[in-house]
Amino acid sequence: MGRLRDRMVLLPGLVYDRHAYGKGPGRDPELLVRGVEPPSDLEKKGMQLFDDVEEEIFHHKMTSVVEEAREVYQALSISEGIITGDMNASIFTSEGDPAVVATGIYFHTLLNYAQAKYILKYYRPDPTVGLRDGDIFFFNDPTCGGVHTFDMFVTAPIFYEDLLVGWAEVGGHQGECGSISPGGFSPTATTRWEEGLHVHALRIGEHWQLRRDIFDFFLNSVRNPFVFAADLKARVATCKRIRDRVMRECQRRGPVAVMGGLRRILDTSAKLARKRLSLVPDGIYRAILFNDGVGTDEGLVRVPTTVIKEEDHMTVLVQGVSPENFKGPQHSTWHLVKASTGVYLFTYFFRGLAPNIGLLEPVEFLVEGPSIANCTEEVAHGEGTTIAAMVVQNLHVIGSKMLFSSPENLGVCAPFSRNVFINVYAGTNIYGYRTANFTGPQNGGGQGARFDMDGEHGCGFFWASVTDIGEVEESDTRLPLVTLARTTDKDFHGFGKYRGGTPCMEVSMAPPAGCLVTTRGASDRLSHNPGLFGGYAGPPNPRFIIQDTNLVELMQNSDPRLVFRQYELAKDHVIAGRYRFESSSQPTEPFQHGDVFVYSVGGGGGYGDVLERDPEAVMEDVRTNVLSIEMARDLYGVVFDPATLSVDTEATVTRRQAMRVERLQKGKPFAEFMEEWSQSQPSPEILKYYGDWPEPRVKGYRKPFWGLYDDPTPRRE
Amino acid sequence: MRAVRVTEYLDIDLVSEQWVCNRCGFEIGSAHHPYKLGLLLRQRDPREVHPVLNDHPHFNFSFDPDWIRLIEFYCPGCGTLVETEYLPPGHPLTHDIELDIEALKAKYLEK
Repeated sequence: MGRLRDRMVLLPGLVYDRHAYGKGPGRDPELLVRGVEPPSDLEKKGMQLFDDVEEEIFHHKMTSVVEEAREVYQALSISEGIITGDMNASIFTSEGDPAVVATGIYFHTLLNYAQAKYILKYYRPDPTVGLRDGDIFFFNDPTCGGVHTFDMFVTAPIFYEDLLVGWAEVGGHQGECGSISPGGFSPTATTRWEEGLHVHALRIGEHWQLRRDIFDFFLNSVRNPFVFAADLKARVATCKRIRDRVMRECQRRGPVAVMGGLRRILDTSAKLARKRLSLVPDGIYRAILFNDGVGTDEGLVRVPTTVIKEEDHMTVLVQGVSPENFKGPQHSTWHLVKASTGVYLFTYFFRGLAPNIGLLEPVEFLVEGPSIANCTEEVAHGEGTTIAAMVVQNLHVIGSKMLFSSPENLGVCAPFSRNVFINVYAGTNIYGYRTANFTGPQNGGGQGARFDMDGEHGCGFFWASVTDIGEVEESDTRLPLVTLARTTDKDFHGFGKYRGGTPCMEVSMAPPAGCLVTTRGASDRLSHNPGLFGGYAGPPNPRFIIQDTNLVELMQNSDPRLVFRQYELAKDHVIAGRYRFESSSQPTEPFQHGDVFVYSVGGGGGYGDVLERDPEAVMEDVRTNVLSIEMARDLYGVVFDPATLSVDTEATVTRRQAMRVERLQKGKPFAEFMEEWSQSQPSPEILKYYGDWPEPRVKGYRKPFWGLYDDPTPRRE
Repeated sequence: MRAVRVTEYLDIDLVSEQWVCNRCGFEIGSAHHPYKLGLLLRQRDPREVHPVLNDHPHFNFSFDPDWIRLIEFYCPGCGTLVETEYLPPGHPLTHDIELDIEALKAKYLEK
């Protein structure tokens, strides 16, 4: 490693390159951290059978297999998350590494492999288990290599005669898992024992038949047995489809060629990733985000990210993280942080390269633990994605700064919206079966502004580019709610030279029979949607509910004042009722017919100085109702006729020049600024879960800038 | 190539090894140190930029200033808003870009 990386100081007594928990029944974290397995002798032999052209043809064929599998799985599933794309379908190498993956969600590209490796290492040689053609394994335990217990997977070995050539794997966010809150997410959970089923890698079927006794056990363990049964069968059927198509390729090319081809895909990805990295300036890059809690009890916590990039290698260092605290489910695992970075890296940094685990071969991950980013096994971690996503957002800002001067600068942009707020609706749907899940607008987050244009409105899910928000009519029948509107919103994005996209805002109400709602979220007092190069962040996103309303009456009278948008509802209170603005981390609660839920996942960050935004673009935002007249005038400095929205160009230039002069008058030189700034500090109540202030893991360590420790041996106290 | 454009608003002059404003040419400071040392800094109540939608003191779709403040960084030459940071009050700033200047010169200067 190089001289920049040598400046790192890792604190004694903490772990960085592995999990903060150790081995347990069905769990061997070493299998999660060691990266792509070295090729076996047979794989080496198979790799020799390809030239670059044949490899490309083979890769395309395998991609078509998993893409077809994705469509099969989504068509067969009746879970909202799966249908809208929160899923994956994969082919693993014979050694258990994910080689070809259809998403859905990029982090699934980089997870769920350790279970296959565990089976290979521990169960295959064990005479009480073994491994045979037609075996079906189920898993959802996050400590064994998954995300959270609500993401459920099936894997099946692909044998050609007696030779194991690979694995089929399919799964995604099914939701309900028998946790203390219906639908999976349990904001009040503080330990894993409140988060439902934890299945490591359990053989649930043989000869492609599900075992009835195990099947019944599962159905008796969840609140939505009909949905669970349908989705489990969908996963098995999809694995079978993958297996059958890979078998045909084995018949055509021979099994050794298939094994070698899958392994070669990973090597090619690693080679291309190194080439991409070598185009980026060497240096150390940093970004930081804060959260307003890890569960229902609020408290500031910190997640910084440092990237050290030298030649064709980079280290992602997550250090100075707030300690784990057992106060809620927002605790991530080491492997979830690593896998989540694929969300940014595969979409933007390594754009154009085949997304698989080979791309991360030149990337080293060091995640400080025990901490909220690398937790121990007992703590609840159902919402660890919130913490992992903070690393991803940091990496997005860092990556844009790394790429800006490189030939690959088309990927420069502010981060996607990640102020996650999910309502989980539970009850009996109009078909008469019990159900518990979220609706699609979580897949309609605002895109961050790009270096040359605005972010798209309601663009997609932070976690996955290949998702959609689903059909209103379908979610209204599958789930106990009535959707009133899906729309954009006003002033609910990051401002800048190019603005972020506004989210898809869903306004809905409880149906005549009522429903239960659990809400998980973060970013109520702050935001995880930073801007870039002077752009402002997307705004915070607390929960907004109106109870005991007169909505049904207003609708019966076709009241013309009704506007189903967050901006108007929050400001004007046209609907009579009890307005609740609160933390988005809330336990399960019953709601009555006519209670209103206002819900989105937030707006994307802005890019560049607001005073450089084209005044006509500002007016277009006003015309399309995503920007208020006040913001156009006061923040963007545009002078215009409010009746016609015609811009006074000359007056705008003068006004903006005056605003720049005001900046120069109010801005202070660094030393003067720091004299005042360094005296301030949040209250002890706010800092109760933070760790030491300001450096959570080193008492009394304070510098004008946070970063690598300049004292080679800072003491922990 | 004498200057490399590192961000939307910041160049590095590879000969003088200085951060330079891309808009007005103002020399901000040594490229071996954080560019923020040479900018003008302003702490703002984030509610000045992010509108409050309702009268709840904390949950109003803007930032809670007890938890997070907005810091704006301006070019002293032209007043361009070069960067923003959202930090808890008093939290150390972010040394966001620390380039290996020698490697940068080797990569670009002779081209």
